[in-house]
Amino acid sequence: MSRPLKIAIYSGEIPSTTFIERLVTGIANSGAEVVLFGVLHRKPLYDSRVKIIAYKHMRLSKLFHLVRFSILLKLFKAQKKKRLDAYLKTRDSLNLYSKVKYYPVLWHQPDVFHLQWAKGLDDWMWVQDFGMKLVLSLRGAHINYSPVADTALAEMYNKNFPKVDGFHAVSNAMIMEAQKYNALANRIQVVYSGLDLNTLTEIDARMPYDKAILKIISVGRPHWIKGYTYALDACRLLKDVDINFEYTIIGGAESIEYQYQVHDLGLDNEVRLLGPHEFDVVQHMIQESDLLLLPSVKEGIANVVLEAMALGTLVLSTDCGGMNEVITDAVNGFLVPVRDAEAIADAIVRIRKLSPEEQLLIKKNAQDTIKQQHNVEGMVSGMMTLYNEVVGVR
Amino acid sequence: MKQREKHTQKIGLVMSSVPGYSETFFRNKIQGLQDSGFEVILFVDYLDKKNFNTSYKIIGAKNYGKSRFMNFMNGGLALITSCMLHPRASYKHYQLDKKDGVSFSKRIKNLMLNAFLLRQKLEWLHFGFGMLAKDRENVAEAIGAQMAVSFRGYDLYLSPLKHPDCYDSLFLKKAKYHVLSEEMKQTLMEYSIDAKNIRVITPAIDTDFFQNDHKPQVRKFIEIITVARLHWKKGLEYTLEALALLKESGLSFRYTVIGDGIEKERLMFAAHQLGLSNQVIFKGKLSPNEIKKQLSQSDIYVQYSIQEGFCNAVLEAQAMGLLCIVSNAEGLAENVLDKHTGWVVEKRQPIILAQKIEEVIALSVVEKQSIRERAVDRVRNQFSLTQQQQKFQEFYTH
Repeated sequence: MSRPLKIAIYSGEIPSTTFIERLVTGIANSGAEVVLFGVLHRKPLYDSRVKIIAYKHMRLSKLFHLVRFSILLKLFKAQKKKRLDAYLKTRDSLNLYSKVKYYPVLWHQPDVFHLQWAKGLDDWMWVQDFGMKLVLSLRGAHINYSPVADTALAEMYNKNFPKVDGFHAVSNAMIMEAQKYNALANRIQVVYSGLDLNTLTEIDARMPYDKAILKIISVGRPHWIKGYTYALDACRLLKDVDINFEYTIIGGAESIEYQYQVHDLGLDNEVRLLGPHEFDVVQHMIQESDLLLLPSVKEGIANVVLEAMALGTLVLSTDCGGMNEVITDAVNGFLVPVRDAEAIADAIVRIRKLSPEEQLLIKKNAQDTIKQQHNVEGMVSGMMTLYNEVVGVR
Repeated sequence: MKQREKHTQKIGLVMSSVPGYSETFFRNKIQGLQDSGFEVILFVDYLDKKNFNTSYKIIGAKNYGKSRFMNFMNGGLALITSCMLHPRASYKHYQLDKKDGVSFSKRIKNLMLNAFLLRQKLEWLHFGFGMLAKDRENVAEAIGAQMAVSFRGYDLYLSPLKHPDCYDSLFLKKAKYHVLSEEMKQTLMEYSIDAKNIRVITPAIDTDFFQNDHKPQVRKFIEIITVARLHWKKGLEYTLEALALLKESGLSFRYTVIGDGIEKERLMFAAHQLGLSNQVIFKGKLSPNEIKKQLSQSDIYVQYSIQEGFCNAVLEAQAMGLLCIVSNAEGLAENVLDKHTGWVVEKRQPIILAQKIEEVIALSVVEKQSIRERAVDRVRNQFSLTQQQQKFQEFYTH
């Protein structure tokens, strides 16, 4: 192929999450042209190969966007515009909102439209009718639990998944989940998230059991999927066996459920529920902790675990989703079954008893895993392979 | 005595919205008071345009509009009207707020907020739950009424977690408190409220309606049931974990959950992940008649709440002759007497709950029957609507 691939990485928001931003930069650096569509919140600093086709969350900006692309399409791609309008009409969504969202994509017509969130899939199936290849990322909530309770969503997946050109799964476990909704296995490629490893530091030999207080930390929004209630129940068990610890949940501040549980279990002195913090501050707090705890009931692969492993903080995670693709119990971290407070507490007691040498080895193994399995280069090349496959270049 | 009670005392009940038809407790309370000669007016913050077919007057707070400008204009107008037409009450309210150290702007804001109450002549101003009295602590005194406050559970145990000082001012005022359980009374006393100002009036149910004439049946499955909002405080995730353990141990059962709520996704996923999709049925919200029908087809009622003021649903289940297993959350241990009218299990302990359910299933027919009968008798004798009416009447007169 003479010209570079033109790839739309679509999450609807610019900038997007840390990991999607990393993907954008990585793909652009690999030589492809990246186009970002959606709402512009703040203009990030990108390479010149990243083109932002966005509007601000203001009426005037949307209007300008709409007029601009309506005229361009009318003048140069009138037939296609007509076809898209007719399609939108059949779906009863030929409205200003849809036009603002779709017209720029039709105008730019990327080779690959890579949708980051599965719930929006039905809105984007049309791109295939205009020669664009549709790639869908299979991430966490959208596949793991939303369709379990939402039967309409499950039906939408069942209907559309077989037509998707390629899937990016964040873990092998996700393949199984996606197959429940008729995704074709040969179209799914596992591409692990990549971390920026340039700033990795040598792991020191901090030893939790040397300190009077074991510092445990969790990071994540206060959502039931994160399983914090199990972590708090485990804290009570730790307190019952007189272990001195401090447990911090970054992102747990606003939840009355956790506040009540902390109070009810008599953990006011041990547990801190904090609001969300900046990425750098979170990283520092993880580094300052002895143990990162991921008590989730379900995950794709939790990015915070990857971060902690790279930073040299021990990780105790539930064995859910793809977590066991990263962690091998007692080798580079620790795994316990989901929904089991006692198992969490037991594991913490065990971890506390490890010798300094054993701990250091686990931390080093963890960092090695991240270096090998979760580097940006691997993520970018995996994704490029997927893109090339869907457009028919091998 | 009878003559004195006939004197029309006006009670103003403050609620956030007009209670739905299904809130038996509330309708019964008002009915009882009216029958005893009280005049009841309901004040609500939000009054939609539905035509409420009620025997009492409903007054809605003025909606001052969404925009700042409209808020300022309408609020200002209400303030001026209040000061002109009800100068004494408005001034007194302002002064009382000032005495409490409320800032000037807040004092003015409170006058706007409470304008619709300050023009009333009442004997009692009764706040339907604690948080409704916030920023209205001085209204009763300003209009020369006595203040009463009901606590329901959520407002006593959870609201202060979100708003740590929300009752500081209220608890310094002269007020009479209504709570649902002795446990809640204790909690209020820990806030230094004098016991003589607290009355425990438990919820009550229509024991004529919730009756079960059918004998317990032998079924293919054990039918377990819970009627609860799908909210974390109802402890349904722990319940499902206990049931997963029972499934593992080979028990054949079906679990019906009646109710809807924000945690539906969480609970459906839990049932799915715990391998209970074939055993658990989420029925959604049902009418009292349908609830009664479901209860009559069940054996065991589980209410494994994390936080619970008292719980009407457990009373209804007991009245229907179900074997009730509940957690020890706040008022539940008074609702069900352990080993006497049912079983009380420590909360957040799914393993213990599972063991208890197995134990109950294994009881002899005679043992089960005697628990059932005691529960039915106790609910009929102690939690009837008539008794509740009586207690509320006494609440305002003694």
